[in-house]
Amino acid sequence: MGNDKLISFENVSFSYSDESSEEIRYALKDINLAIHRGEFIAVLGHNGSGKSTLAKLSNSIYAPSSGKVFVEGMDTSDPENEFPIRKKVGVVFQNPDNQIVASIVEEDVAFGPENLGIPPAEIRQRVDEALRAVDMYGYRLHETHRLSGGQKQRVAIAGMLAMQPECLVLDEPTAMLDPMGRKEVMSIVRSLNRERGMTVVYITHYMEEAALADRVVIIDNSRIAADASPKQIFADQALLSRCGLAVPEITQIAYLLNKMGFSVPPDILTEEEMIQAIQTVSRSG
Amino acid sequence: MIRDITIGQYFPGNSYLHKLDPRAKIVITFIYIVALFLCKNFFSLLLLLTVSVAAVLISRISFRVILKGMKMILLIILFTAVLQVFYNDKGTVLWQPFPRWDFVITDSGVFSAIFLSVRIVALILFSSLLTYTTSPTMLTDAIERLLSPLKHLHVNVHALSMMMTIALRFIPTLIEELNIIISAQKARGADLDSGSLTKRAKALIPIFVPLFVSAFRRAYELAFAMECRCYNGDNGRTRMKVMKLCLRDYLGLLASIALTAAVIVTSYLDLGSLFLFESVI
Ligand SMILES: Nc1ncnc2c1ncn2[C@@H]1O[C@H](COP(=O)(O)OP(=O)(O)O)[C@@H](O)[C@H]1O
Ligand SMILES: [Mg+2]
Repeated sequence: MGNDKLISFENVSFSYSDESSEEIRYALKDINLAIHRGEFIAVLGHNGSGKSTLAKLSNSIYAPSSGKVFVEGMDTSDPENEFPIRKKVGVVFQNPDNQIVASIVEEDVAFGPENLGIPPAEIRQRVDEALRAVDMYGYRLHETHRLSGGQKQRVAIAGMLAMQPECLVLDEPTAMLDPMGRKEVMSIVRSLNRERGMTVVYITHYMEEAALADRVVIIDNSRIAADASPKQIFADQALLSRCGLAVPEITQIAYLLNKMGFSVPPDILTEEEMIQAIQTVSRSG
Repeated sequence: MIRDITIGQYFPGNSYLHKLDPRAKIVITFIYIVALFLCKNFFSLLLLLTVSVAAVLISRISFRVILKGMKMILLIILFTAVLQVFYNDKGTVLWQPFPRWDFVITDSGVFSAIFLSVRIVALILFSSLLTYTTSPTMLTDAIERLLSPLKHLHVNVHALSMMMTIALRFIPTLIEELNIIISAQKARGADLDSGSLTKRAKALIPIFVPLFVSAFRRAYELAFAMECRCYNGDNGRTRMKVMKLCLRDYLGLLASIALTAAVIVTSYLDLGSLFLFESVI
């Protein structure tokens, strides 16, 4: 992970109400955040804290009310930069049904590159590659509305990948999915980051998902409340409860086991870590 | 019942019909429909029906699938055929079921009913193949290209075809949603199937208001998603699938024109009593 800044928020505030109204309510206030190339950042926060607004500020859908957002040095509030920025930062939304444009999988994935004016043969190649990356190549001729939620969301991700962005911003991509679908999407996003070096901003309210990130940013009440590694974040129970968030179950179990006197570290985040810890404990007697 | 609607359904495949250029397919379908309307006797109708059945065989889409899509329409055809029989009192009387009323079934009535039904069946068989063998996006793309001369009249043809693409994409989603809302309202005790006409019409309000609200929310979110994918009308837009007319398309067009010519010849030129059933309509 280089120190190469891909997206940076500089003193960004954003309000949905226009300036003329008396009392301005900010959806985001004084945000300073740098997203580096290759990073996997999870953004946590309860409902209405401003997470979706952050996503829409990152690719020039909205321009900040004050402050600046830069994508590779391009100012998002400059209309000239709109399309170059959207090519670099792909945003996937919560409801998979409402972001699929075409009735057939491969035609939907082709929508983005077609808009970019890519030559037909290259679109074909990008579409096939994107569908393979999300493990949906076998479904390329299927009808989109017959897919499961997790499959639809993977098609939406492929639609972004086919535009060959530098960064994927996913706004609660698993919120409307069943546990199976959540697993599918999460493992695809993780492998995109690990194996292809894709920069990922993963907005979620599932702690288990945030635990897989390199870095966790908590947004509370329109402001950034914390920005640290998952281990540091989940060890700070006071912070989490102040922000209306709960610790992942597995961490809670580890914490309780630790308190009961077992030599299990209290900051365990994943099942694999837990299995290892338990194996060590049972081996040592 | 609502679930049986197969508007715009597409069955991917590799047949001759699947490979035809969608523009050629639209034009051929159009020519076929014209031929159906020109056809006046059983011989030419039989010819047209044979062509539709042959087209289905060529498409390699099973008749079961096609019949399933036609289920609702077959009922309507049956109904019109019955009306046709009752309303036509020309020709020789075959049967007078109620001697006291002057209500008769004539040979001409039966013929015209059969003629009409076969005509509609042929029409649906052939035209449904258009959507069955063409993906919705290709279909709307083809319509966009065929209508592109209208651009000179400042008609936004691209926007029209984009609307069709999105409509076709969302019809199944909204039908599914409609079913969910109906079940939800029924679960709350909504009574949709009884009472006077006005009462039933009123009962539909709590069904359609949520459906519309949700459709608007979907449209709002879809607009964001399309912006994120750099949609900017047809400015600089390319297509993954290139349309190019080739030999098979010209052959198809030629065949459909030949078919129309055959229909005209057999229907309008007096070829003597070569054919068993002369014009009945
Ligand atoms: N289109 C909008 N118009 C007005 N206010 C909005 C709009 N979208 C969101 N808000 C408000 O902005 C705040 C942050 O919303 P959002 O970014 O959607 O939060 P989150 O995604 O974390 O749930 C909320 O108070 C919400 O009510
Ligand atoms: Mg949100």
